[in-house]
Amino acid sequence: MIAQTAGAEGTSLGYLMLILLSATFTDNILLTRFLGMCSFLSISQQLKSAVGLGVAVVFVTTITGALNAALYKYAIVPANEHFGVPLGLQFIVFIVVIAGVVQLLEMLIERVSLSLYYALGIFLPLITVNCAILGACLFLVNLGFHRNLLEATMFSFGSGFGWMLAIVAMAGIRSKLKNQYIPLGLQGPGITLIITGIIALAFIGFSGMVQLAK
Amino acid sequence: MKRTPDEERVLERMAPGVLSRDGFLGADPRPLNEILATDQAEVDGLGVTHAAIAARLRAVLLAARDAFGRSVPVGEGLSAVYHEAMGRIPSPWPGEGVFPKGEIELADQRSGHTICYTPLSVHLIEAHGFYEGRGSRYRLEPSEICRMLGLGEASA
Amino acid sequence: MITVLAATLLVAGVSAVLAAILLVAERRLVAYGTCTIDINQGARTLEVEGGGTLLASLMANRIFIPSACGGRGTCAYCKVKVLEGAGPLGPTEEPLLSKEEVAANVRISCQCKVRQNVRIEIPEHLFSVKEYRARVETISDLTHDIKLLRIRLLDPDTLEFVAGQYVQLQAPAYGDNPDPVYRAYSMASPPSDSHVIELIIRLVPGGICTTWVFEMLKEGDEVLLNGPYGDFRLSDSQREMIWIAGGSGMAPFWSIIRHMDEKGIARKCTYFFGANKKRDMFLVDEFRAIEKKHDWFTFVPALSDPAAGSDWDGERGLITEVVDRRVEAGGEKEGYLCGSPGLINAAIKIIKAKGVPENCIYYDKFE
Repeated sequence: MIAQTAGAEGTSLGYLMLILLSATFTDNILLTRFLGMCSFLSISQQLKSAVGLGVAVVFVTTITGALNAALYKYAIVPANEHFGVPLGLQFIVFIVVIAGVVQLLEMLIERVSLSLYYALGIFLPLITVNCAILGACLFLVNLGFHRNLLEATMFSFGSGFGWMLAIVAMAGIRSKLKNQYIPLGLQGPGITLIITGIIALAFIGFSGMVQLAK
Repeated sequence: MKRTPDEERVLERMAPGVLSRDGFLGADPRPLNEILATDQAEVDGLGVTHAAIAARLRAVLLAARDAFGRSVPVGEGLSAVYHEAMGRIPSPWPGEGVFPKGEIELADQRSGHTICYTPLSVHLIEAHGFYEGRGSRYRLEPSEICRMLGLGEASA
Repeated sequence: MITVLAATLLVAGVSAVLAAILLVAERRLVAYGTCTIDINQGARTLEVEGGGTLLASLMANRIFIPSACGGRGTCAYCKVKVLEGAGPLGPTEEPLLSKEEVAANVRISCQCKVRQNVRIEIPEHLFSVKEYRARVETISDLTHDIKLLRIRLLDPDTLEFVAGQYVQLQAPAYGDNPDPVYRAYSMASPPSDSHVIELIIRLVPGGICTTWVFEMLKEGDEVLLNGPYGDFRLSDSQREMIWIAGGSGMAPFWSIIRHMDEKGIARKCTYFFGANKKRDMFLVDEFRAIEKKHDWFTFVPALSDPAAGSDWDGERGLITEVVDRRVEAGGEKEGYLCGSPGLINAAIKIIKAKGVPENCIYYDKFE
């Protein structure tokens, strides 16, 4: 069992690695928390699209996670303390930020690197409403990572990366299954959900290994 | 259901008015994946393959093409006419090239039934198992073609 | 109260900041400034607003690259060689280009955006292609499914072309069709009358343009077209010619024969025109008149499936069979073919078998 401390000493590299490990594997946002399923189910058919979408999700989750953590720490919490603004406002603010960042990212990528844009720019509109991204932002608030922006960024990156690993793994498995016999009723979403469940079962084995409560 | 950009592009090209006046999906309300899956199941149930069906349709097409608009016999009680046209039509799947326009009318003298298809239809069946949506002029029901052409279990 | 105000201000504030950033970003990131397009090593240079597609930028400057689908990336007719400045190959271009074309820097111009200065190469003859506004003077029926359109050019009012070339007629958006499309039709009128062109159009079942022509186009309507395009024309040699056509493939030959008649081009020529039944045959009397006038021209119409008891007195059988019967040695002759792909393939086979050299066989491939 990997023991750890509640972040008493701030951000040691070890602690950051722990956050990464937790977000990517033990608390995988897709396989443990079951967020971000819809694009996962439909885009996991081809490896190429899966990688493209996965990388886009990593980009967006990391950037918006960091931004939203900062926003929460420096705007929402003070507003709550001084004006009684409910903390639940985070839902609206986070989603607005995610939408805006995706737009900005699309423009930036198109300008800076056309080949990168062709590889993953087309997926960006698809992920604006991916609940895994909003989920990652909300979880990092829940777990208190907003207090340290480095931890927040690491957690967001880990969540996005974990989502990407899940979709790439699924795409690999589905390409292997392409020529196998699957009963008519289970083809498509059916078998995908069953596979997801089996992988998730495996990931349950990780649970409890890392605890990051603050 | 979210779709990949590639699927979006194919669907756009199948809409009426993009490649042909009526498009490829007819009045079918089902999504493309469901049309493909249902037809795949029907073909599997008949004990044939898309390749086999496409090969027979292509053989009829070539026989009819050599007759330049005259009706030719192509099997037991079957006759075909190829009404050629000069244009070319691209496949809805990008990058697969262009195909001759025009249509082949395959008539079963015994039942009086006729079906219509194009050179592009043959390619779509062979490459994608796509028989077009219900209501399209060139929609081919797998069971019907197999019965007409004497393929698979339907011919028994 | 102050809670509500603070909450609203917070959300509004965040949204406003984001919107402002996006607006600034759009102005600075998406704008590409003015770019130059260098054509054919400086033969022509254009200054265009960056960000548009290559095809649109060229067309805005009256340089018309052939395009059937109106810039939607489906027809692959708008290929242009881009020597530099095109950026990486886009995902919508890749499936439409062969490996050799990609290696030769050929791009699909309606999918390739101009973001910086580009150098391109286009065939010389495209410089004389213009867009025309014209009016349909008459629509007459040649057969039950073939119409003859007589179109008067308005702006510009003359079209100079070589007999055998084609134009692209625009079918506007109508019914379920969201966008205009262009379809190629060979000109059937001789080049001498440069104010009027004639097109022979055959109805294609489910065709976007032909349905519009047959069901919606009226005499007096204005149409848009661009041209002239195409390499199909009389060669410079004096070889005897074999012409083979079917259906609307008649058009370029109707143009060429009247041109030869007017200009006194007395090259020996035999024209084989095939149709199915008598009702599919047209312009027979007109061609017979020219045949009577000139001893260098022979017209051989043939019906492949005449109705029983038909009074057809011409040849009968498939046009390729008729060619086989009537043509002897082809080693010193040239072949000109116009029709559907099946007809062209069969015709090539038959005249090659007669000895016509491969480089003396001319036809429009439309691929």
